[in-house]
Parts: sequence; C-alpha cells; structure tokens
Amino acid sequence: MAPPKGGYAPDLDKFLDTLKSRPVDASVEFLISLLKRRQIRGSESCAIATAHILLQVVAKDKWSDVDQLIGRVQLVGRKLVTAQPHELVIGNIVKRVLGLIRDEASEDRNDTGSDSPTDRTPTLPPAIEPIPLSKQTRLPSLVALGSFARTQSMFNLLSDPDFVPSPGSTPKLGSGASTPQGYPQSTNIHALRSEVIDGIEEIMDEIRQVDEQVQAYAEIVIHPGDYVLVHQPSRTVQKFLLRAASKRKFTVFLVVDPSAASTEDDPYSSLRKSLSSSGSTVVNIMNVGLMAYMSKVNKVILGARAITKKGGVIVDSGAAVIARAAREQGRTVIVLGGVYKLSPDSRFHHEGLVEWGDPSKYVNFADGEMVGQVRVRNAIAEFIPTDLVNTYITNL
Amino acid sequence: MSTAPTELPSEANSQQAQQAEQSQQSQQAEQAIQPERTQTQTQTQTQVQKPAQNDKSTKGDAAEAAKPQKLSGAELKAKAKAEKAARRAQAKVSKEVAKGEAAVSSAPGQLGPSAGEVKGGKAKGKQDGGSTTTSGAAGRPAVSKGPVPVVPAEPKFTIPECFSHLSMAKRIPITQADKDVHPTVLALGQQMATFTIDESITRLKATLLAFKKVINSYTTPPGNTLARHLTPHVLNPQIDYLTACRPMCFSMGNAIRWLKLQVSKIDPDVPEAEAKKQLCSSIDTFIQERISMADLVITEKTSEKIQNHDVILTFGRSTLVEQVLLQAYTIAQRKFTVIVLDDPYERKGQTLAKNLTAAGLRVSYCGDFGGLRYYLQSVTKVIVAAESMFNNGSMYARSGTCDLAIAAKQLDLPVIVLCETVNITERVSTDSLTYNEIDPERSSSASFRLLYDTTPDKYLSLIISELGTVQPTSVPDLLRKLEESN
Repeated sequence: MAPPKGGYAPDLDKFLDTLKSRPVDASVEFLISLLKRRQIRGSESCAIATAHILLQVVAKDKWSDVDQLIGRVQLVGRKLVTAQPHELVIGNIVKRVLGLIRDEASEDRNDTGSDSPTDRTPTLPPAIEPIPLSKQTRLPSLVALGSFARTQSMFNLLSDPDFVPSPGSTPKLGSGASTPQGYPQSTNIHALRSEVIDGIEEIMDEIRQVDEQVQAYAEIVIHPGDYVLVHQPSRTVQKFLLRAASKRKFTVFLVVDPSAASTEDDPYSSLRKSLSSSGSTVVNIMNVGLMAYMSKVNKVILGARAITKKGGVIVDSGAAVIARAAREQGRTVIVLGGVYKLSPDSRFHHEGLVEWGDPSKYVNFADGEMVGQVRVRNAIAEFIPTDLVNTYITNL
Repeated sequence: MSTAPTELPSEANSQQAQQAEQSQQSQQAEQAIQPERTQTQTQTQTQVQKPAQNDKSTKGDAAEAAKPQKLSGAELKAKAKAEKAARRAQAKVSKEVAKGEAAVSSAPGQLGPSAGEVKGGKAKGKQDGGSTTTSGAAGRPAVSKGPVPVVPAEPKFTIPECFSHLSMAKRIPITQADKDVHPTVLALGQQMATFTIDESITRLKATLLAFKKVINSYTTPPGNTLARHLTPHVLNPQIDYLTACRPMCFSMGNAIRWLKLQVSKIDPDVPEAEAKKQLCSSIDTFIQERISMADLVITEKTSEKIQNHDVILTFGRSTLVEQVLLQAYTIAQRKFTVIVLDDPYERKGQTLAKNLTAAGLRVSYCGDFGGLRYYLQSVTKVIVAAESMFNNGSMYARSGTCDLAIAAKQLDLPVIVLCETVNITERVSTDSLTYNEIDPERSSSASFRLLYDTTPDKYLSLIISELGTVQPTSVPDLLRKLEESN
C-alpha cells in the first residue's frame, strides 16, 4: 500500500515544495485535492498547509483594497473547509488570518497620522496591538481567538460550511456591528501586505512551537510512579511524555492502532527507546476496550484533533471509549492541543459525529462474503463530549 | 460447531495410537543406542511390550474398534508413551522424532495448517533450548520420571510487573508433559493452549469428554479402590496438565469439583466396570443437562426477547449468541438487523457476520470501538455472552465487553447477558485485574494484551441462564437454586 520512499503520492512536504513555483490558484486546487484525498492528514499538517496557502494568496494575488483581500481569503478558506470539513483547524487558521487582516486594516484606518510603512510600530495606539513579531506579542492575538464573545462577528463569517460560495461573488461580510463596513481605499497596500504576511508567519511559528509550550506542563501533570494511558500519541503527546520522563519515572500504557500493531514496524519505537532509556516503562496495550486497565491507570492523556467551542474534543477513533472508561472509574482525562485547535464551531458537533474512512482497515477487499453482504464501517475520528474531559492543556 | 469438540478427542486419539506405533519403533532404535538404563525404566519398557503387541494386532481394524481392546493396557500405554515422549526429547537427533512431532502437531485436526506449523516449530525450538540442560547424561533417569521443570513459554516475554499476578496459557511441548497424562488430554491441552478450543463452554465439554476417556481406560491397581485412587493418581495429573496449558476457566473448575465429588461418592463395593459405567453416564448427564439443554433453553428464551425491527448489537463471536440470532431469524421469523462489533485483534466477529448473512440476516460490521456511540444510537438491544458470572453479579467476558456495556448503559439500552449456570462462580471480583488472563500470542516484550474484563453489575440489565432470567444482582439466587437442585 505504502508508496516507495520518496514515492509519487503527494504529501505536505511535496505541497510546500511546489508552492513557490505554481500560480496561487493551481496551488489552492492542489491543496484541495490533497485534503479531499486525505493525503494531508492530521490537524498540524492541515493547519500548516492552510497557513502556507493563505500566505501565498496574500503575497501573490492581486488585490487593491482590503475588502478584495478579505473576499479572496474567505473564498479560498471556504473551499478548503468544504474539502475537509472534519478538520476544524483549517477553518480556525482561515479565521485567524481574516482577523489579522481586519485588525491591520482598522489599525491603518485609525492610524491617520502615519502614512509611512516603516515607522508603524512606534506610532500605533497602545490599545491595538502591533503585528506580533516577538514571542511576547503573540499573546494578544491568541487571546482574541480564545475569547469568542469579543470576536464573535469574525467567527460567524465561516460558521456555515453548507454555504458554497460561487466564485467571484461579493464577499459576505460579517453582520456584526463591530466589523467595520468599509475600509479606506487609500490604505497603503504594500504595508498591509507585508504586515499580514508577517502575521501569517507568526501563526506558523506558533503552530510549530505548540509542542514545546505544551510540554512545559508535563512535570506538573505526571507524577513519579504514575500509570499514564495514552492513545495513539501524537507528536505533542509524545513530547509531553518525554519531558516528564526526563524528570521522573512512570509507566506508560500505550494504546496502539490495531491495524498497525500487526505489522512489524513500531511507529512509537523511538518514543519507547527514549522513555525506557530514562527509566520509564512503556507497555503497548493491544486491547480496544480499556476498562480492564482503568483500575490501574492514574491519568489518561489524549491529543486533540480539534477542540470545539463547548469543550468537546475531536480525537482519533478509539479514544472516546477510553475517555468514557476513565470517567466511569473516576480517572483524570487530560487533553493536549495547541490553541490553534480551538474552534468556535460547535453547532455540528455532537457525540454521534464521526468521520468515516477506509473500510478496508479490518476487512480485506478480497473477502467477498464480507464485502458483498455486510455493511462495513470504520471510524477515523470521533467526538468526546465535554463532561468526559477533566483538563485541557494548551500553549497559553 | 458444537459437535466438533466431541469428535476431536477421538480423532486425536486414533492419531495418537498411530503415533505411538511410530514411537515404538523409534524406541527400539533407542534401546540399541542407549544400553544403560535404570531399573524403573526397563520395568516400564517390559510392560510396554504387551500393549504394543496389542496395538499391532488391531492395526488393521478401525480406530474405534481398537479402543475397547486397548482398555486394559491403555493406561500403561499412556504412561509408557509419555515416558517415551520424554525420552524422545533427549534423543532429538533421530529422524523419527521429527516425524513424531509432526504427527503430534497435526493431531488436533481442527488446527489450521499455519497454526500446526507454528506449534511444531515452537516445540522443536524448545527442544533445542532444552538440549543443553538434558545433554548431561546424569540427569536422564530423573527427567523421565517426575514432571519436567516448566520452561517459560516465551523467554523473551516479560510481563509488566503490575500484571505479574495474572496467568497465561503456555504451550507445553507434549514431550514435557507428565507421564500420567492421557493422550486425549495431551491433545486437548494443546488445543487449549493454541486457543483452538477457546470458549468456556466448549472447553468444558471437551474436558469432560476427555475425562470420560480417561476413566474408561482406567484400571484400579490391586490393593486400591477406585474412589480413593482415581482422583489423586489419575485425574489430578490430567488437571494439572490442562491447567498448565491454559488456566482453567471457572466452568471447568466447577465441573471438575463436581466430578471429583462423584468419584468420591462411589461405593468401594461396586465392581470397577460398574463404577466406571456410572461415572461415564453421570458425565453424559452433566453434559446433557448443564451444557446442551442449557444452551437450548437459553437460545429459546433469548430469541423470544428479540422483536421485529430490533437492532441487535453483539460483540465478537460467541456460539451461543450466534445460535440465538439464527434461531430468532429462521425459526421465530423475527425481522431484525444485527450490528457486529469486533475486537480488531481477534476478528472473530467476521465469522459471525458471514454466518449471519449466509442465513439472510442484515448485518453491519465495525472492526473496532471507533464511533461506538454512533452505532449505539440506532441499537435497541445489546446481547453478549459471558465467559463467567461472579457471585456479586459482575460479568467476566471478552475484553472490551465492559466498555460496550458502559456505553450502552449510558444510552439506557438493555444489555442482555447469556450465561449457562455452570459458568457461574462463587468467587467475587470487583475489577478486571483480579482474575484475568494474558494473551500469549499478542503479548511480547513490547506489547501486552488482556483477554477478559470484568463488567460490574450496574452496567448489565439481564442475565439469561437456563434456570431463569434474573437481574445481575440475583446471580447468587441462581447458585442457591443450583445447590438445591443437586
């Protein structure tokens, strides 16, 4: 199944490589097809790809005023979201970029005294944050995202995934009163462009740094001698465990993907090696029902694909059962995820929401009796309601 | 499926007989090679000659015909065979050994070829491992006598410390079994160790049938009575061997306690043949009442509970649940659909799904617990089979059943448990790690798997047994009923 090393199947790296050489529209279409085919998977990859494509849109596209830019980003954003509606981070990144553009535009409008792009930072009014360039200044933009009420109107823009825009249609602006309805046409486009580009790069940096920031909490959460259960740990969770293991010894119950468990190569061998070298124990658990282990487990740590407005978490398939078992036994369920995974979207998410995928995971297509007669379903992602989660750890 | 275990032991036995002949020849060769022997060994060998001749005379006959004739000598033969087997382990260079091993590994007829190969390879590997210890000639006579020191099944596998109290099935090579173990039991032990016979009730049935053979081939030595001699000297080695192959399930424990009681109840004045007949017929009655009829009653009762337009969810594959669903569909003519939830590591549910669709049922299949909540939203009843029930109403069942029951209970779905009363144990368990079993096939140095879990009674709705349909908290009542009826 797997393509040969450096095979033909495109992935995130290939996409990023081709980004510079292609026209923007071609890149957008390429990314849409990659998302639809699930060749870019995982929330982090999707977020990075989205940020990159939006960067291209901002940098390369021709636009003469802010409205045009916003319309363009919205259009691309909608296409991406429709391509992979289950990956909420795509929408999140688009919303972040839109917010960024609006912030910049309103700054420029308010900032009547300055028309030179070079001295923008010192002359900005203190109430409005400058384009974050250093680590400290990233915070405000995140806060803006985290506090949904304040930026409600911004988020409403993309909240209707059913709405498929016709290309070239007038961009639908948010109806909220807080959104400025008209931006001055005289804005210095070049300054805005470079500021938005800086902002998007800042978002990418943030995505990259999530793991390190999240793992700072590891020592607080994991205690010596703990039995920690993790489900198909993402990189964030792995780093979290590694950081904790550098300070203390504990036991990790690692729930693996059943289909991958039968094959020889262990995707977590490096994790296992580094954890055991620091004295912790890793045990691969080859069960799907984890209730049997819960009396032993102290904490369950799950990596989120996305976190919805109401606190529900979208996770890899199989984790919901674990969370429920943990709740029944009164064990702590901790969800790790960067702030970029927090989505204001929650209307369409309930416990029944499941992303379905490749049914050949457990049933071979050569098995005629099964394929012909039996309805085979295989979930890829599922939803954990808020009440099953104890704590969220993000990079804030 | 239910008839398979009845046939297995006899089939295996006939093959054992053939194999015994083979090894007879090999043994003669060995005698030539190894002249030095202890006194006890030569004695047993002379005893061996008689059954060997016996065997040869019946060679032309059908295997069934051979068995009654063997009756008197079979016990000795079994002893001699086991001893020979032990000896063969030492003289592993000879080609007959390899042949014998092949015969042994293919003896459990139902084993897939791959499983047989695996087992053969494993047994051989272990012999090689043991060669260093047994090659010292001094230890030889001792080895042939008592039970061979138990070699850990997989030396590389270390059980995590927190689970070290749990037991695990081991593949003991036939050559290392106690010499008193009956050939049928030897084969059965291998089948259990390889999980060819897996379900609690099937294991129980196969064990009882094998013990019937053991009793049939038993002769009370002079100066002993059957009631006093059979249990400690004949039955116990068999039980020990079976337990070593795979930890006994609760139903086997119950049945063996019952069998021992029956043996001890036999009047010393009753002639041996009569006593054996009594025992065999009471075993037959036990199988009839506690297994066959029980299954029938449970099937009947449960299929009545299935209504039209029901959506039944079941987990993995249990023969009993399969029978229930088929009966409800074909005989009771109910229109319902089935969702088969499966354990991706075992995938036995696929067989169930195929069998059900073959009968015409509409089946959905989900390979793991992903999206469980989604499936349950459309489900009206959850039916699972218990491996055992504890006295406090907890259910001991295939690992994952508990998670299913929790999810179902949260949606207020009835969770119906099917369990024969013979599976009910008087013990009490509150968590899954008190009694459990480690999966030997999927546990390695890096990974670990439990076979069962315990579902607290609060997640269950109904226990259907042949003595009545009760709430989980009323399991002790079933036990009391049983005691009264006995």
